[in-house]
Amino acid sequence: MFLQTLVTGLSIGAIYSLMAVGYSLIFSVLSFSNFAHGAVIMLGAYIGLALASKLGLGFALVMSGAGAGVIAMINERVAYAALRRRGAPSLYLMISAMGCSMFLENMVYATIGARFYAFPEFFGSRTVRLWGSSLSLLDLCAFVISVTAVFALHLFITRTRTGIAIRAGVNDMTMCSLMGVNTDRLISVVFFIAGAFAGVAGVFLGVRYLVYPTMGWVTNKAYIAAVIGGLGSLPGAMMGGLILGVLETLVSTYISSVMRDVFSFTALTALLICLPDGLMGAETEDKV
Amino acid sequence: MSGHYAEISGLHVYYGNIHALRGIDMYADKGEIVSVVGVNGAGKSTLMWTLAGVLPYKGSIKFDGLPLPARPHETVARGVSLVPERRRLFTAMSVRENLIMGAIRRNDRDEIERDMERCFALYPVLKERLSQRSGTLSGGEQQMLAISRALMSRPRALLLDEPSLGLAPKVTEALFDTISQIRGDGVTVLMVEQNAYETMNVSDRCYVLQAGTIAMSGNSSEIMKDPRVRKAYLGD
Repeated sequence: MFLQTLVTGLSIGAIYSLMAVGYSLIFSVLSFSNFAHGAVIMLGAYIGLALASKLGLGFALVMSGAGAGVIAMINERVAYAALRRRGAPSLYLMISAMGCSMFLENMVYATIGARFYAFPEFFGSRTVRLWGSSLSLLDLCAFVISVTAVFALHLFITRTRTGIAIRAGVNDMTMCSLMGVNTDRLISVVFFIAGAFAGVAGVFLGVRYLVYPTMGWVTNKAYIAAVIGGLGSLPGAMMGGLILGVLETLVSTYISSVMRDVFSFTALTALLICLPDGLMGAETEDKV
Repeated sequence: MSGHYAEISGLHVYYGNIHALRGIDMYADKGEIVSVVGVNGAGKSTLMWTLAGVLPYKGSIKFDGLPLPARPHETVARGVSLVPERRRLFTAMSVRENLIMGAIRRNDRDEIERDMERCFALYPVLKERLSQRSGTLSGGEQQMLAISRALMSRPRALLLDEPSLGLAPKVTEALFDTISQIRGDGVTVLMVEQNAYETMNVSDRCYVLQAGTIAMSGNSSEIMKDPRVRKAYLGD
């Protein structure tokens, strides 16, 4: 029973991580809270829904990732790029993001409708038996794919030239452009990555729960995960997501599912009082 | 009006309502070290950021016969590289990663490694600190890394904004020696400084910038003898 709960928790946590990593990446590059991240997740889920029954889950995941990535890129070009170039304060970007989120949600209401859709059954209730517990194949699959994706992103950020340029941009965007980097293009890459992760998370959420226009509100959990881990830190966002997922599942199983969100937000508040920078957000001092 | 390697004419820069540079005319020939001295707020850094393509301007900036674009990544592609005031290193990244960033536009892996070795020949301490986070270097080491990072793009013109700021006199002296060495490789150097004496010593020609205009220009050795300059900048 405990192992089963733990795996479910890790699986939900891994999906939170997927969302949190993208959200955190955008925060670290542009220093604003991208409230349209949830809408991108939702659109990713709809793309997956449209493709999954005919083309299978694997293809749906890839296409949702690509589609949501492109949507996030367009979102940045249309709604943030002009503000960013004028050096607008991050509050303006945040308000623009809220507007985008409402716009996209209502577009879905107006065109697709408010109905709840369910993904076709992929794994049914197929399970894997391990040490006397039966673990859902869906949970294992979501966990493995999410963790692999985050690990791949980590390698990309630390090992490749584009990754180094992204980290340089996080450190000092003006200097990054003075090195010869086209920062508009760099920011597009960042939004594509964040969007792609959001799209994949959207499909997993849709498969686990349902697909509907406001399903993106679950990104609240990604914000919490990112803050727990320390905003701007990718390993932190990953850790934060996993911790949050496991805690929530344990609370729902052993205490009460009604208490789940109360618990998440209480845990966040408590953590911020003790560790204002999150688990991995602390930077050591620089010499000037 | 032609023949100079770099030529600035009628340059105006505004920050909103503030008229920061008011019609600047300057030139530099290939392989020259040209210095700009002036007090705080004279517009020295504005001039540098403008030449690097960061600030929009009115007037003309020509480099090697062609107008210089006002977009930083295109300016670097044209061979103009800025070492800004206070270095602005990527402090969260290692020394090596900073050098890689300097060469981010280039794809010639072997040549990049060779250029890194050249930087180590100029500043041996960097080699020892290769995997250290650049924010933890000392001020002098940071300035060496900032210059090396700029050199990694193989610039034809190097812009140095207050390279001696916050450094001990001995470190400054060593740094200025390397600037002469860099010029020896055919790089044109434009540096702005408050440290007027050292700067005029190392430079061929000098401009005195005052409230956004060029107040005086000429050979550094002659400018140094001018009584007004001696009074205002050299503490006589």
